[in-house]
Amino acid sequence: MARSYFCGSGDHAVSRRGFLGALAGAGATAACADMTAIQALATPGVSEDLRRNQKRCILLWLAGGASQMETFDPKPGVSTGGPFQSIQTSSTGVRISELMPKMAARFKDTCVIRSINTRNADHGGGAKLMMRGRPGESNVDYPDLGAVLSRELGLESSQVPDYVSYYFATEGRSMAPGNPGFLGARFGSMDLYSSMVPENIRRTSISAADHVGRAELRGQLNRQFQQGRASLSLDSHQQAYDRVSGIMANEALFDIQREPQRIRDMYGPTLFGQQTLAARRLIEAGVPFIRVGRAWWDSHGQNFETHQEMVPELDHVMSTLLTDLEQRGLLESTLVITLAEFGRTPRINAQLGRDHFASAWSCSLSGCGIKGGTVYGRSDELGNTVAENPVNAGQLFATIYSALGINPHKNYYVGSRPIPLVDPGIEPIRAVLK
Amino acid sequence: MPTSKPQNLRTLHEISRQDICFAVARVPNSDRLLVPTSDGKVFEINAVNAKGEAKALANHGRYVNAVALADGVAISGGYDNRLIWWDVAKESVIRTVAAHTRQIRQIAVSPDKTKIASVADDMICRVWNVSTGAKLHDLVGHAERTPTNFTTMLYACTFSPDGRHIATGDRIGHIIVWETATGRKVAEMDAPLLYTWDGTQRIRSIGGIRALAFSPDNNQLAAGGVGQIGNVDSLAGPARVEIFDWQKRTRVHEFTGNQGMLTRLIYHPTANWIFGAGGGGNGIALFYDLAKRAMLHQANQPMFVHDAVFNEDYTKLYCVGHNKIAVSELKE
Repeated sequence: MARSYFCGSGDHAVSRRGFLGALAGAGATAACADMTAIQALATPGVSEDLRRNQKRCILLWLAGGASQMETFDPKPGVSTGGPFQSIQTSSTGVRISELMPKMAARFKDTCVIRSINTRNADHGGGAKLMMRGRPGESNVDYPDLGAVLSRELGLESSQVPDYVSYYFATEGRSMAPGNPGFLGARFGSMDLYSSMVPENIRRTSISAADHVGRAELRGQLNRQFQQGRASLSLDSHQQAYDRVSGIMANEALFDIQREPQRIRDMYGPTLFGQQTLAARRLIEAGVPFIRVGRAWWDSHGQNFETHQEMVPELDHVMSTLLTDLEQRGLLESTLVITLAEFGRTPRINAQLGRDHFASAWSCSLSGCGIKGGTVYGRSDELGNTVAENPVNAGQLFATIYSALGINPHKNYYVGSRPIPLVDPGIEPIRAVLK
Repeated sequence: MPTSKPQNLRTLHEISRQDICFAVARVPNSDRLLVPTSDGKVFEINAVNAKGEAKALANHGRYVNAVALADGVAISGGYDNRLIWWDVAKESVIRTVAAHTRQIRQIAVSPDKTKIASVADDMICRVWNVSTGAKLHDLVGHAERTPTNFTTMLYACTFSPDGRHIATGDRIGHIIVWETATGRKVAEMDAPLLYTWDGTQRIRSIGGIRALAFSPDNNQLAAGGVGQIGNVDSLAGPARVEIFDWQKRTRVHEFTGNQGMLTRLIYHPTANWIFGAGGGGNGIALFYDLAKRAMLHQANQPMFVHDAVFNEDYTKLYCVGHNKIAVSELKE
């Protein structure tokens, strides 16, 4: 189906089409016989194809603004440094907070960017900026990262959702909702706010047999109607129906109870751990983008104890995810991002808190396309400003797109207006890309 | 001999500091304070005037949270997990002990000055011989994880007036009373309202028991901190004290003060009031009349107060905290 606002480039058509055949068959089976996509994708040929060709992304969204000083850019021994030390990572000369010993031990796949300057220290504005990669514009509704990656990495007739977003905490949820913008609702997020399994795909009143019966009846009617006709709209309708049917057959995809106990134990019992395990499960089944929202890091008071509570969880879950992806052969094709709307002030306030800060903060990129074991950019001695290689939101997004094999300069079209993925003149950070 | 009157509390002078002052011990019959700070050192500060002349003594190299003074011997502890014994007069280190595996939060000295207790985030209270530095007991019993499986902390410890018991309090509001001589657990209580777990809005916690004090008659144990907080981004809850008849393991009274968290509780040895210090939006100093069960006096302090100490007759108050030390008097 033609979409006037999409790039006409065939950049990704081959891999998508190559994959479509295998998945369409598997998906049809899944829809009709209640076989989940994850089971279908477990067949050797399909999973190998997925591993080789399909790029995926998990965004660990540290909502509220995690402190760079207590994570990836520690400054021990200076007045702004706080009480925690830095520790040596597995990469020579690179040190991160002592609160992250597990990530320090497996730093080889991760690049930390320590020089983000986004100049917006407001939760709402910062979140929108860091979800879209650029400031808003009154007459263009830009899609967010998940929607773009859903469009670029998803399969047109995929039987699994393209963009899943977990965000159970109520604080900050409305500040950074998934937003397909001009790409349209097809690339919007499936938002999970309270249940690990989407409530609306649970079969509460219709049995699996009923679904199969309805699918057969619909197929029979379609075939009768289609005789002697060539209808794009009918094809589109059928695709949409197949997609919904496929997703409805995927309840098990979201169910981490189907993972071996050993794997569940590995991720740990916290909600963040469980959702990240679900994200890995979705990645494995071909979902191109999952955001796991871990809120709420807004530590205006008791910053150090807040981070003492939350960073070890991040350290454990993130390192477990990277190791799990690596062991499954998926890390080379999966980009794992930790990102927030901003970082936190170097200055320590009277409640031993740190406040909003967007002038010199950090994020991390791991896995797909990333030169691991590295640090890019530098903040000054106290952490107040960027001292070297400043990075803005657009550069970060260009780097993310490039790491995933997407040309950041490609255009979408809104009417006749070309809209590049990142603003003109912005280039990816080559130094962090493989 | 002058007597104290909390209602007359007034600031005499303030000493500005670049660092954050986390605790205080006072050299008897003097204005000399031992103050561990975020600078990684323990300073001896002359608080007789606003100049606050200071000299650095023990150096931990990281935030120092705690200090205790026992007959000229000071013991300090902090994020380096070490206890350092030093001779205050000679300004020299006596010994350094790798005391805990996580950061040390508080140190209490026994009334006879022969023992100290240290609590740390390894969730152990350790009892030490002041003279020899020998470890006497490991008091193990606080949970190592919160009920929602997060890291927890062990903040507070204190000796009973007769020295026979030690009380400890942790982040989730659990209190244990131990027998000093044997290390045996003799009572457990909970003050759950001193811990706020927000599992809905922000999925994290704040609070904890930050201060413990036995009453002079040894019958009551007071636990202080901050009450339930709606928005755990800051200390926007009421300063809160819960008082237990610890031998019966029952809560007998509770009261709240202005917004903020209490970090120090001190019973007046003869009068019937308890003092609390801490901070939130403002520094807190409160005096609560235990007989009338009413707030006697509440006053702001010029900074978030991390610790406080009185002089011998309770007519002078030394508060230390965020970038400042405040000296006040409360004479009749």
